[in-house]
Order: sequence, then structure tokens, then C-alpha cells
Amino acid sequence: MPKLCDIQQAFAEAIVEGTCQTATAAMAADGSALRSLALYRRLIRNNFVQVLRITYPALHRLVDDNYFGVLARGYIKKYPSTSGDLFLYGRHLPAWLQRIEASPLLVELARLEWACHEVYQAADSVPFPPDRFQAMASADPSRVTIQFHQTVRFLACSLPVHRVWQALQPDATPDVAISLPLPEEQTGLIVVRSCGAVQVIPLAWLEYRLLEALSQGASVASIEQQVREAEAGVDFTRLMTTLLQAQVIAGISLKEGV
Amino acid sequence: MSVQHSTPIPALAGIGLRSHHFREILDAPPSVAWMETHPENYFGEGGATLRILERIRGRYPLSFHGVGLSLGSTDPLDRVHLRKLKTLVDRFDPALVSEHLSWSSVGGRFLNELLPLPSTEESLKHVCSRIDEIQTVLQRPLLVENITRYLTWRESTIPEGAFMAKVARSTGCGILLDLNNVYVNAVNFHLDPFDFLDAIPVEAVQEIHLAGFHRFGSMLIDTHGEAICPEVWGLYQWAVHHIGPRPTLIEWDTNMPPLSVLVEQAAQADAILGGCHAEVV
Repeated sequence: MPKLCDIQQAFAEAIVEGTCQTATAAMAADGSALRSLALYRRLIRNNFVQVLRITYPALHRLVDDNYFGVLARGYIKKYPSTSGDLFLYGRHLPAWLQRIEASPLLVELARLEWACHEVYQAADSVPFPPDRFQAMASADPSRVTIQFHQTVRFLACSLPVHRVWQALQPDATPDVAISLPLPEEQTGLIVVRSCGAVQVIPLAWLEYRLLEALSQGASVASIEQQVREAEAGVDFTRLMTTLLQAQVIAGISLKEGV
Repeated sequence: MSVQHSTPIPALAGIGLRSHHFREILDAPPSVAWMETHPENYFGEGGATLRILERIRGRYPLSFHGVGLSLGSTDPLDRVHLRKLKTLVDRFDPALVSEHLSWSSVGGRFLNELLPLPSTEESLKHVCSRIDEIQTVLQRPLLVENITRYLTWRESTIPEGAFMAKVARSTGCGILLDLNNVYVNAVNFHLDPFDFLDAIPVEAVQEIHLAGFHRFGSMLIDTHGEAICPEVWGLYQWAVHHIGPRPTLIEWDTNMPPLSVLVEQAAQADAILGGCHAEVV
């Protein structure tokens, strides 16, 4: 009698790799084994396709159900699930789309949607109290650094993909027309959660780079310096106001020994 | 976070809580006795869904119905998954916590489908030890649900009802009796549904599930995407009279209808439960 682990392994191989011999040998010899395996294969595949549809709703709307199904099935074959928690499934879709040389729009849209997916369930953050800001106003800006909440994602895109994402939201204004292909344009996006809903805030490229530097520990003074040196006009105050309004700041600290 | 104390689930009908109906439930709470949800949908560390669940928990008794623990898998128990479940159970203190008598992963690969175990002594021993372990971690009894199957393992030696009964008696877990699953298996494999129903210990049944299926050629597929069929209502009437009134869930996961349809089906179940209560009185 085969062991339970061997039966389970044989079944999984039959479903994923199509090698059915060992699995069918463990199943009733009434001629139904291959049909049963085909049914399970279909149910399992459909479940994963549905998970990807839910995780990547804008991508699904953009490419239509048939093409999305083709993409999803290719991905499922390459990336089996590794958890009983299906919220984690689909993480590698953007990288996989890039690897198969899918349109850059699909790659960027998938990256944005995975960021939205993570942000939606990220740990709750406590808004930074404005009086702490005031307390820091007199500090030496070369020592001041800013920390961001877990609910924030910074995304550098080669296309203004947020316009397509926005137009594909269920509540989007129906008459918004987007001309495709999108022009190549370096764009920075901040993905945040506000009052439970995910928001995507576009920034000019230079603003984004400055913000990214801040998120990686650059001091406020060094950012101010870069702003002064920038050829394109960047309004530092406006940038900081955007951060405050988006409630993405978790803390401000003073670097030691600078 | 304040500790909320579990409100017992009455022997009345409840409905599945799905995101599709969140807004409607919050705006105009439907007249149902309780709600059940998949805990995996709330495994995130924060966000709106957890706050919504808190609001709903404040109004309705709650049951957690897991789908991801892979009870019968021969892989080691997924400690991360179990820890997330434990955190959620501690936070929301649901009146019931259930899982499926199935497996869904092997060799670290998850198929995320409820797959049947061969009904053997080896499976029995294995799944009972896993249930013991989970109950120890959760510090509460688990309910275990009978699943649909679309295959027969050649090695199975124990009838399904007897297997379920042995699991309940060995571990002290409760039984979540899914009557649609009993019916679907009976039709697909030309079985008598009462062979299963007569074999399970009445006192262990703590919850009943009712759902709809999809007809796929000659097979019935347990999709939870249709209304409950008359034959399953018939089994339910039998169960309520022979097992007794139990908390009963209208389970609907795909092809989601308006909330009012779930509420109507719950009212139909309540009418049957009410008839039984009246007889008892």
C-alpha cells in the first residue's frame, strides 16, 4: 500500500506536471481516474486565475478576460503557490511579465497593482503629530532625516502608468480617453492608504528622486541642496506639504554626530 | 485592542460574509442571526477589511471557516499560517472555528484546493495528530467539515462517515456537516447520503452548511455559486429533525447574488429550524 505522502506527491505531480501514471494507479480502477485528474486540474487552475484577477483587476480589464487567462495560465505554470494564504500569490507576476517581454505598459501596471495590493493590507500607521514638526523646525537640517510608514510604496516607472490605472478603476469617469501607447516618461509614484482606500500620487521625476533619497536616509539639508542645484524648478515646500497631506511620515529624527 | 467575548451562535441561520456585500451590510445590517467568514481574508496586518470585520463583529456572532491549513497534508504544519490564524482568533474570539477534512499541499507546493484524503488508518492517525496540534495552539476545539470529492482512492478502506466519526471521537473536534457536499458526493458516486449521515455522531455536529452546486456534464461540482437545490433542502429537513437544530450557514462564494437572496435562503432555513423548535416545545 503506498504511503500517504507518496499518494499526495503523485497527485500533485499529475496536476502540475501531467505525469499521471503513479496517481492513477492509486485511484479507483473504474476508468474515471484521468477524468478526475482533468477536473481537478481545471478547478485548481481556475482558482489561481481568479486569484490573479482579483489581485490585478486593472490589468484584467485592460487586456480582456481571454488574454488575461493566457497570461495567468503561463504564470501559474511557472510559479506554483507556496502558501495556504492566497493573498501572497501573484507577487512575481510583474517580473515574469518583464521576462517574457510583455508590453512595458503591462509590466508597469502589474508593478503598480502589486504595490496597491500590499499597501491595502499593510499595518495601520499612526499619523505624525504636527507639533513634532514644529519642534524640529529649529534643528540643523543636515541632521534631520525622515522615516516613512510601512503603508507607503515608492515606484519609479518608465511610463505615466497611473493614468491608465486611474482610468481602469471601477469608479473612473467613463469619458476619460487615454491615448495608447503611452509616451515614455520617467514618472514617480507614491502608493499610500488613506482612510482605508489606496491612493496613487504621481510626482514629477525629480521630486520623486528626492523623495526616494529621503526614504533611503538622506538628510533634509542634502535634499534642499539638490533642490537648489536642480535645473528644473522644484518647490521643496510643496513636496513636504504633499508628504504631510498624504500622511506618509512615520517619524523625524536627528542624525548623531554630523 | 479590547478583548471581545465570544457571543455563542444560536441554532439559527447565518450567512457568509463576503467583501461583495460589505457596504450593504454596514449600511443596512440584514436580519440574520450570525455571519461566517474565511479568516485568510483578514491575515493582513491592517487596513479597512479588519476594521470592517470589527464593526460586523460588534453586531453579529462570528464564525471563522478556514480554507488554508491543509489539515491532511504530510508536510509539516504551516506554523506561519497557524500563527496568523491564532492572532486573528485571539483578536476576534469567534464562537466557532472550522477547517476542512482535506489536504491541499505537499512538498511545499500548494494546490489551494480541498483535496480528499484516502480513508485509511494511516490518514486517520495523521489527520488526528494534526487536529490535536491545532486545537492545542488555538486553545479551543476545531470543527472539521466533510468535503466534496471527485475521485476515489483505491486504498480507502474506511467508509467516509465512519472516518469522520473516528476523527471526531479521537480528537474531540466538532463536525461541520456540509449537506451539499454529502449530496454532491452521493450523486457523483451513486452513494446513499444516509450511509454518511447515519454514521456520524449526532452530538459532534455543531454546525451545518447549505450551498448550491453547478452541473458539469454528469458531474455535480461544489461551486457555492447557486441556490440550494430541493434535494439538499430535503436532507436539511431530515438533519434538523434527526440531529437537532444547529447553527446553519448559507454558503455562497462565487457568482455572488444580491444580499437579499442570501437573506431569503437564510429565512427558508430558519423556517425549517423554527418548525423543529416548535415540535420540541
